[in-house]
Amino acid sequence: MLRLSLKRRRQLLPWLFVGPGLMWLIVFFAIPLLNQANVSLQSGDAETGYAFNWAFGTYTSALSDYQTQFVRSLGYAATATLLDLVIAFPLAYFAAFKAGRFKNLILLLIVLPFFTSYVLRTVAWQLILSDGGWVTNRFRDVGLIGADGRLLASRTAVIAGITYNFLPFMALPLFVSLEKIDRRLIEAATDLYASRAQAFRRVTLPLALPGIFAGSLLTFIPACGDFINAALLGTSRQYMIGNVIQSKFLTILDYPTAAALSFILMTLILVGVLVYARLLGTQQLTEAAF
Amino acid sequence: MQGRSDRIRGWGLGIWSAIALLYLFIPIFIVVLFSFNDNKGRFNFTWQGFTLDHWAQPFADPDLATALKNSLLIAAITTVIATALGTFMALALVRYGFRGRGAVDMLVFLPLATPEVVLGAALLALFLTAAVSTGFVTIVIAHVMFTVSYVVVTVKARLEGMDRHIEEAAMDLGATEWATFRKVTLPMIAPGVGAAALLASAISIDDYVITSFNAGQTTTFPLFIFGATRQGVPPEVNVLASALLFAVLILMGLNVLLQRRLARRSLARELVDEPQAGALVPARG
Amino acid sequence: MSDPHLEQALEEFFEAERLSRRGFLGRAGSTGVALTGLSAVLAACGGVKGEAQKSKTTKVAVVSHPKTTIGDWTFANWPLYIDKQVIKDFNKKFGGHCKYVEEINDNNEFFGKVRQQLQAKQPIGRDIVTLTDYMASRWVRLNYCQPLDKKNIPNISNLEDNLRTINYDPKREFTLPWQSGAIGLGYNPKKTGREIKSVKDLFDPKFKGRVTMLSEPYDSANTVLLGDGVNASNATIDQILGAIAKIDAANKKGQFRRFTGNDYTTDLAKGNTWIALAYSGDLVQLQSDNPELRFAYPEEGAMLFTDNMMLPTKAEHPYAAETMMNYVYEPEVAATIAAYVNYISPVKGIQDILANRKGGAAIAKNPLIFPSAAIRKQLHPYPALSPKDEQTMQQAMAKVTGA
Repeated sequence: MLRLSLKRRRQLLPWLFVGPGLMWLIVFFAIPLLNQANVSLQSGDAETGYAFNWAFGTYTSALSDYQTQFVRSLGYAATATLLDLVIAFPLAYFAAFKAGRFKNLILLLIVLPFFTSYVLRTVAWQLILSDGGWVTNRFRDVGLIGADGRLLASRTAVIAGITYNFLPFMALPLFVSLEKIDRRLIEAATDLYASRAQAFRRVTLPLALPGIFAGSLLTFIPACGDFINAALLGTSRQYMIGNVIQSKFLTILDYPTAAALSFILMTLILVGVLVYARLLGTQQLTEAAF
Repeated sequence: MQGRSDRIRGWGLGIWSAIALLYLFIPIFIVVLFSFNDNKGRFNFTWQGFTLDHWAQPFADPDLATALKNSLLIAAITTVIATALGTFMALALVRYGFRGRGAVDMLVFLPLATPEVVLGAALLALFLTAAVSTGFVTIVIAHVMFTVSYVVVTVKARLEGMDRHIEEAAMDLGATEWATFRKVTLPMIAPGVGAAALLASAISIDDYVITSFNAGQTTTFPLFIFGATRQGVPPEVNVLASALLFAVLILMGLNVLLQRRLARRSLARELVDEPQAGALVPARG
Repeated sequence: MSDPHLEQALEEFFEAERLSRRGFLGRAGSTGVALTGLSAVLAACGGVKGEAQKSKTTKVAVVSHPKTTIGDWTFANWPLYIDKQVIKDFNKKFGGHCKYVEEINDNNEFFGKVRQQLQAKQPIGRDIVTLTDYMASRWVRLNYCQPLDKKNIPNISNLEDNLRTINYDPKREFTLPWQSGAIGLGYNPKKTGREIKSVKDLFDPKFKGRVTMLSEPYDSANTVLLGDGVNASNATIDQILGAIAKIDAANKKGQFRRFTGNDYTTDLAKGNTWIALAYSGDLVQLQSDNPELRFAYPEEGAMLFTDNMMLPTKAEHPYAAETMMNYVYEPEVAATIAAYVNYISPVKGIQDILANRKGGAAIAKNPLIFPSAAIRKQLHPYPALSPKDEQTMQQAMAKVTGA
């Protein structure tokens, strides 16, 4: 390896780094997924067997039948991502800039709730937000919900649940990106007569963009496919596309439609991500830095 | 003046952070609280009274203990493998412009976008076709598969925009690529890698859907709990969940102490041995 | 041919089949199963060749699982569904080591896990699986389970009368009940202000938004049918779709807070809901901590679900499995299990045993665990639907629940 020319090494090295992970993903993800693509174009049922017959109609009917759920899922996920950004950014900022030697502790605290079980956490929220509970009564007092209103089994509860459960996914990348910002750049900006707000807007924020991008991705993308929050905290009017896919796959045993729905979801997400990346201009940003 | 508004901002941020952390922990308090619930039936959501009975015998159900042990072991192994694989992938994706980089980038995102049911079932189909019996190993394989993406994305956030000059400087000073990597690059991305590892282990410990397809007859903690909800989750589950939390907190506390002791020692050594290298490390606020 | 034994057997067979004529006709893909039953009857009488040739299948279901030494074998069940001491006692008494795996969290999920192996006719590594009626029916229909050697299960005579036959397995050749439960009305009288007795109460507009309905149509749609006076065990798909439409209409008006699986329990316990379509066993547990809650068997009748032990095809240790099945049908053992699980036991004669055991008196008197004979007569098993009908029903319900 060391005898190869530098140029050769430059060419091979990335593949060496990427190789093992890539292999893992190809074997255990890409191939099974291609198989699912195959399934999505089949028709039949569990008892008479399936046959591959280019059933593109599955895709069109899936899209039209479940438009509502698709739009709803993207909407809920986007709202939750935004909320997570708002909640997590100051937290990550504090941890990265102000926490000193406690920064790792804060990081740990952010992730720690995940080490209890999902079910336990959601049941806990159901107890806290129950109709006759302290929290709900205060909301009623303040007038945020009607006298007969409730917090659970509602859109609020589902979005709150998604926001809660994906907060660490936003906070960690944000922290990671903020923490590496060289303080001296900010100092330089203020030395050059920028106000604190200007320094933040023109130095800190752009440098934190990779973190914002990464955090949004890790929150938005899995949230779109989530089904548990809607199942436990919502009603039929809040069910997301994840619930549909779950049902098609496990209960109705309609594997082609389930696979088709998954691919449609993935395409929608990827399109959204590309648009988002373009908006943030992350690529140009990192290139311009050097 | 600058100092005072700075401090107010600091306090404001601190309070917000405290509230945010409190928000994260509210349900956890309930979970811990209900581990002390003296429930008579099998459900555990009406407070009946305080008891230490469950803490006295948390392993009354041996299957629960096995499930927890499996989860921890799987999480540990998954974290090591996924972090290693993912970190190297992130390095390659950010540092090198190679043909096919865009495609690899996309491939890394896709597992995040795929619904868990499909991920789990598709992988199971693969195992069955290859006549691999499902169990501990297949769970690890599945977990690594979907946590790698999280690691890559997190480490990339650390790498992007990172100053390459320091590594170049190290190499100019005669360090080999490997030494540079070990002594300069790795420490610089360490927080990102650490955060990614933490994320990967959290996801692995809490995963249900993908695991349920690929677990065979092995139980993990989430599998046990989901199953138990039909009959009522016993408080022993709360006990173990709380104990896990405390254990991790204590470990972390010890780690912090250890880090400080090591940092002090290595700083002393650096000042004695290599004053020049010290000047190259950027001052951090 | 005037063999009275044969005639009686034939009569019983056709009687059972008549109970679910639709189910019989619907088993288009697997008439082999139904006819196997007939052949078994004939074979038991020494094989009358003429009749046997009428059957479409050449398989004669004379099954024999000879005694072997019990080594390692696997019993897959739902969590918290057995007193683990029973397993230990079994191992001690019969030798070997029973690997008891609580991996079944949901019928559909478990099926999703093992479906491919079953389809490929491979062993699934479990010797007993415990599945609810509609899933058991699917396995029987698709030949995913093998017939039981009743010679190894003499205690089957302890099976409760109302469970001796079931529409998808009339002679209990493939399935043996593990535990049953009733689907009834769980409610909080303090909130409702009155006793709840009828399925119609679920639709009472006075309780708008305070009722939860089960998302599983086998449970909910059939209960609604019972409320309308239809015998749900013989329901046609059109009747079921009608019931689903009724549920849909009520849901659109906001009658139901939401559709649930098992998770109606928190809502009921916390007073978020006042009435829930609920499982009897859950109410037994809820009542321990929330004594104000009540469970009512609807006066029109209630659906009965049974989780059944089955022997998967290609199971490698059928003798061990059948020995366990026999063991848990011993009244003393069944009593231990019933005391722990608190659902309705399929074994006769354990009420008195429990009444005489320490701490068992309360359980013996509990009508949720030991329904009276009058109520037992009003407990209906699920209808046996064809795969197409089942899918139609599930799809219709999925539209209502929003999935």
